[in-house]
Amino acid sequence: MKSLTKFMDSFGAILLAIIWISPLLFAFWAATHSTSDAVNLNLFSPWTLENFRVAWAGAPWLKYFINTFMLVTVILIGQFVLTTLAGFAFAQLQFPGKDYVFILVLMQLFILPEVLIVENYAMISRLGLFDTILGVGMPYMASAFGIFLMRQAFKGVPIELHEAARIEGCGLLGILWRVYVPLAKPTYLAYALVSVSTHWNNFLWPLIVTNSPETRPLTVGLSIFGAPENGVDISIISAATLMSVAPLLIAFLIFQRQFVQAFLRAGIK
Amino acid sequence: MTTSPFVKLDGVAKRWNGQLGVEGITLDIPEGSFTALLGPSGCGKSTTLRLLAGLELPDEGKILIDTKDVTTSAASDRNLSMVFQSYALFPHLSVAENVVFGLKVRRVPKKERLEKLHRALEITGLLGLEDRKPGELSGGQRQRVALARAIVAGQRLCLMDEPLSNLDAKLRNAVRKDIKKLQRELGITVVYVTHDQTEAMSMADTVVLMKDGHIQQVGSPEDLYSRPNNTFVAEFVGAPPMALFQSSVLEGFGEDKTIGIRAENIQIVPRGEGRMRCTVNESEFLGAETLIGLDHAGAEGLCVLKPGLSLMAEGNEIDIMFSDENLHVFDAVGQRMVG
Repeated sequence: MKSLTKFMDSFGAILLAIIWISPLLFAFWAATHSTSDAVNLNLFSPWTLENFRVAWAGAPWLKYFINTFMLVTVILIGQFVLTTLAGFAFAQLQFPGKDYVFILVLMQLFILPEVLIVENYAMISRLGLFDTILGVGMPYMASAFGIFLMRQAFKGVPIELHEAARIEGCGLLGILWRVYVPLAKPTYLAYALVSVSTHWNNFLWPLIVTNSPETRPLTVGLSIFGAPENGVDISIISAATLMSVAPLLIAFLIFQRQFVQAFLRAGIK
Repeated sequence: MTTSPFVKLDGVAKRWNGQLGVEGITLDIPEGSFTALLGPSGCGKSTTLRLLAGLELPDEGKILIDTKDVTTSAASDRNLSMVFQSYALFPHLSVAENVVFGLKVRRVPKKERLEKLHRALEITGLLGLEDRKPGELSGGQRQRVALARAIVAGQRLCLMDEPLSNLDAKLRNAVRKDIKKLQRELGITVVYVTHDQTEAMSMADTVVLMKDGHIQQVGSPEDLYSRPNNTFVAEFVGAPPMALFQSSVLEGFGEDKTIGIRAENIQIVPRGEGRMRCTVNESEFLGAETLIGLDHAGAEGLCVLKPGLSLMAEGNEIDIMFSDENLHVFDAVGQRMVG
């Protein structure tokens, strides 16, 4: 009985893993073969890198990469600054109405970002940030999830450390910078991973606010590249897709261990 | 010697949501002295220390440090250092960084910082451990890092909040001596919170015994031991604590008073020659002497010390003797009566 459960456990895990990775495997297969070979799943067909060459030449990918990179960086910096300050305020400061404000922030978690697209669009236009990277990133900076996460991390810091720093002459921001932020490092790392992967893959909002190749991130560039009006070539689209997910994928493979540890450490302390 | 005390608390009170924290704390602490705040848990000794440190602000009263009114000053402006019960070392910083944390915050030049660091580590015997993280140190070493951080800036007032309670008994004795020596050599003023009366008695010049937010007695250890102000002090100070019994038990003391006597002032005498007859209820061998606990109607905590190993069987009836001059007499509400 016990061995059966164990078998089912591993079997289920392997099955899920296969289902999960099969689109990626197919994309890899399609990207490295000619279109007809790819569709027919001809296992003995010759390998080729031609698709990558064609796809690379078909759109300003380098610009898209830089845009996406800038976008996730800008969002991450904005999120770190805002969630650190807000999380610290909610964790350690006393001010009237604190609990109500915190509930308001948490309520943001229940609202799908897509619901606010029109309002955000109007706001970004009013700010004159339409079709800029800052405009794409701004709605995500005051992240409720991040504020909550930081509040929890800061709440876990022993109060004696705060008091010791006070006696040693630190001001409030000094304490935040010298005590709370370094101690919350694992949480920052875990949050950065979630944030970067989310915004690397974000599509709908950037599609709406960006209007030119100068600001378009990878996801939007890819969808335009693969749009039916350009003719669907599954091999070339696969090649382009692989190119756009490659940096994240490679980073994950390299830092796999640190990723998992960051989450563990952020959880356990 | 200046006449005004270095630290002065004047009628300080702090209440928590109407509940009592501390009330009417008036205390003078001379420069260079070692003052222990002693009392059972919840008596307000830590609150008093935190008020002094500026971690809490008093609801009433004034606090003066070095003749400056610091009642509402920030903790960082009071020119004092503090050792916490949990040591409060920053886990992400090395020993050296922990020690110079305050100097760095106060923007002391690097050269001076290194000199002071070296000296503080030398005094506390931590040289060679500069680059370790607190997590890689033993309990005793962490304690010394906390001490080094407290003395590195050369503040004249150092507050200690039960700094030894996380150490094992043997280490505690050693560190106790180290702290006392350090305080003497540096000539700093130490205010030390503890619930352990042995610690307070052995280290302090002045012991402040507190209970329920009020000061019970301020005095030298000898004072508290030999002239307790009330029955609480009598029972709290000394090991074994003072035995108390109703005055009606003895002739010539009237009713409704309480009489106290220390174990070392009681002798066991042959039957029929003593002033009280008691039953032995326990014998405890302490090494150099044996503590014999006695039962007597109307008396509490009565015991006798006998030299060496001399256990007595439980249930034995013995007579005890003591002279009047060793008795402490307290009135009906437990206050010491003159004499």
